[in-house]
Amino acid sequence: MTTIMPAPTLTEGYRNIKLSSSRFIRAAMRPIIPAMHTLLVEDDTDTATFIRKGLGESGYNVDHADNGVDGLHMALNGQYDVMIVDRMLPGMDGLTLIEELRKRNVHTPVLILSALGEVDDRVDGLRAGGDDYLVKPYAFSELLARLQALARRSQPEMQGTLLQVGDLRLDQIKRKVTRGDTEIQLQPREFMLLEYLMRHTGQVVTRTMLLENVWDYHFDPQTNVIDVHISRLRRKIDKDFDKPLLHTIRGAGYSLHEP
Amino acid sequence: MSLSLKLFRTTAFRLSLIYALTFSLLAATAMGFIYLTTKKELMNQTDARLQLEANILINQYRAKDIDALFESLQQKQHDSRTSFFIYVLVHREQKDITTGFAPEYTTEDGKQAFATLPMGVLLKTDEEHDEDPVRVLLTQLPGDYQLLVARDLNDQQKVLRKIYNTVILTILVTLALALAVGMIFGQQVLRRIEKVRNTAGEIIDGDLSQRMPVNRRNNEFDQLSRTINSMLQRLEQLMHGMRNVTDNLAHDLRKPLNRIRNRLEVILLENRDEETYRETIAQTVEDTEELIKTFNALLSIARAESGERRQDWTEVDLTGLLEQMAELYDAAAEEAELKFSADIERGLTLHGNRQLLAQAVTNLLDNAMKFTPKDGHVSLCARRINGTIEVTVEDTGPGIPPAERDRIFERFVRLDSARSTPGSGLGLSLVKAVASLHQAEVDVSARNPGARIAIIFDTNTEE
Repeated sequence: MTTIMPAPTLTEGYRNIKLSSSRFIRAAMRPIIPAMHTLLVEDDTDTATFIRKGLGESGYNVDHADNGVDGLHMALNGQYDVMIVDRMLPGMDGLTLIEELRKRNVHTPVLILSALGEVDDRVDGLRAGGDDYLVKPYAFSELLARLQALARRSQPEMQGTLLQVGDLRLDQIKRKVTRGDTEIQLQPREFMLLEYLMRHTGQVVTRTMLLENVWDYHFDPQTNVIDVHISRLRRKIDKDFDKPLLHTIRGAGYSLHEP
Repeated sequence: MSLSLKLFRTTAFRLSLIYALTFSLLAATAMGFIYLTTKKELMNQTDARLQLEANILINQYRAKDIDALFESLQQKQHDSRTSFFIYVLVHREQKDITTGFAPEYTTEDGKQAFATLPMGVLLKTDEEHDEDPVRVLLTQLPGDYQLLVARDLNDQQKVLRKIYNTVILTILVTLALALAVGMIFGQQVLRRIEKVRNTAGEIIDGDLSQRMPVNRRNNEFDQLSRTINSMLQRLEQLMHGMRNVTDNLAHDLRKPLNRIRNRLEVILLENRDEETYRETIAQTVEDTEELIKTFNALLSIARAESGERRQDWTEVDLTGLLEQMAELYDAAAEEAELKFSADIERGLTLHGNRQLLAQAVTNLLDNAMKFTPKDGHVSLCARRINGTIEVTVEDTGPGIPPAERDRIFERFVRLDSARSTPGSGLGLSLVKAVASLHQAEVDVSARNPGARIAIIFDTNTEE
């Protein structure tokens, strides 16, 4: 079989479909503050267009720089809630850009995008002052989820030792979880899992984020171990109650929020 | 460039040239010293003989008178035995011999002076002997008589010339010999290097099976060649591995890529409802997900094999890591209706890369879970045995046939029993690579039924 459609139409069509396919997760992924200001520093035009469009549709306000020098300039002179920085950039590489920013006391959360995906590269990225690290190729939902988590991290009300979502309460110091008046017994790992989900309530949390942050694994096991642990947790916190709090977001991950 | 020109540039030749020159210089200095000493000694001897002869004559003169001395000299002149010496006794007025060689000479009694003169000054000779040197001792006798005793230096000169010639000849021969030897050595070295270069050239042209020549002499060259050969052996293996991987990669990636392409083309040709489009795209995204996983696995293996960044290693709490894993997989096993058990010894630590170790054990557990049928048993076990730490994963799956036990670690190799299950055939390659990186062995054995794979870390040799 040969291609009958001209190639540009094919690419165009695919991109549109792919973007709209993420619409069903978008509701759960709306930014907490409307019109979140985002700076995207990425030299690849296609990728930049794709991210701008996707983020735009999810309610983000995106500025774009296609090289490191402009990116640094914009980051220093603009007010951004979160930044996405590609690691390999013309002019000034991403890590240097972040180091420069941190040197000048700009603490905007930064998500690093990179084709280098080993643990050591990740460590380099985080050491330079990045807040999270996403390896290419990635799913757009993953990018969105991580961006949201970063933007949320700078919100002060999420610190603290008492967490509450609906009638679900987690006391970090007493290591106690209750829903309504019922106390729920959790294994240590389940406790950590719930804590992470509660700290990111209202956001989509991906499996990779859970593996990285709860288990400290920077790779994907083939077995669906995360799903299994989520369903165990769900059994404990949702099964005997009317309103479920822990939701599965198809194609993206999980979200803990009030119905 | 011609061989002879190259020869002059060889280190061996240059070295022997330097040695030759240095040795010749030393020899020349020694010989020159010998020559000069001999010359001086011969002159001293001559002078002593002259002095002796003169003393005898002077004593004769003192005992008698000048006429007696004349007679004695006459006698000596005729005596063939003493023709070795030349005697002259003249009165100053008759002929002043001193003018020829000692202008500062005074007429004081008993005054003596040595000199070396050409023979022509003293004697009438045939012309060819005029320039022959003679050693003279002039003694001033009372009454302005001058007694001259002289000796022909011809013989002495001959000896000296012979010595001189010998010296020069020796130096020349030494130099020539050293050069010749240097040339031969240089030639030999050059020939060996030429061979190595030719071999290297053939390797550059793509024939990796070429090896450097090794002689039985086992000199430095043979040792070097042997080292290079083992390096080539390793390179050839790696190249072979690479080629295999590339072939397999092409094969394994072409299939899903083709599937994606076909699916997208079909959907483009037909007008379908949105639900079908979405379904197709979801499938395609899943397929690309698989491709990405394969790529990531390959990269991880390559990283582990290259042994990069060892300085980032830490002391890994193996017990903690494995317990966490056991907890992670316990739930998954329950879900898959398998029995799972873990027996992990307390306090196990290892120097290594935590992520890679975790991934290796995860791969073993993933495999075990994948191939073990319902109600089967998977176990994770870690313990210290005689200076080693053994991490073992056992299952009750179909097992691994003994003939396949080496092959399963090759990239993209999937046994027939695995054809129907998802997977890339890279999991065990990573296990092997991570184990090698940590200087650990991977042991595969059979259980009845099932398989047992152990990673054996040698804690004795760890740095």
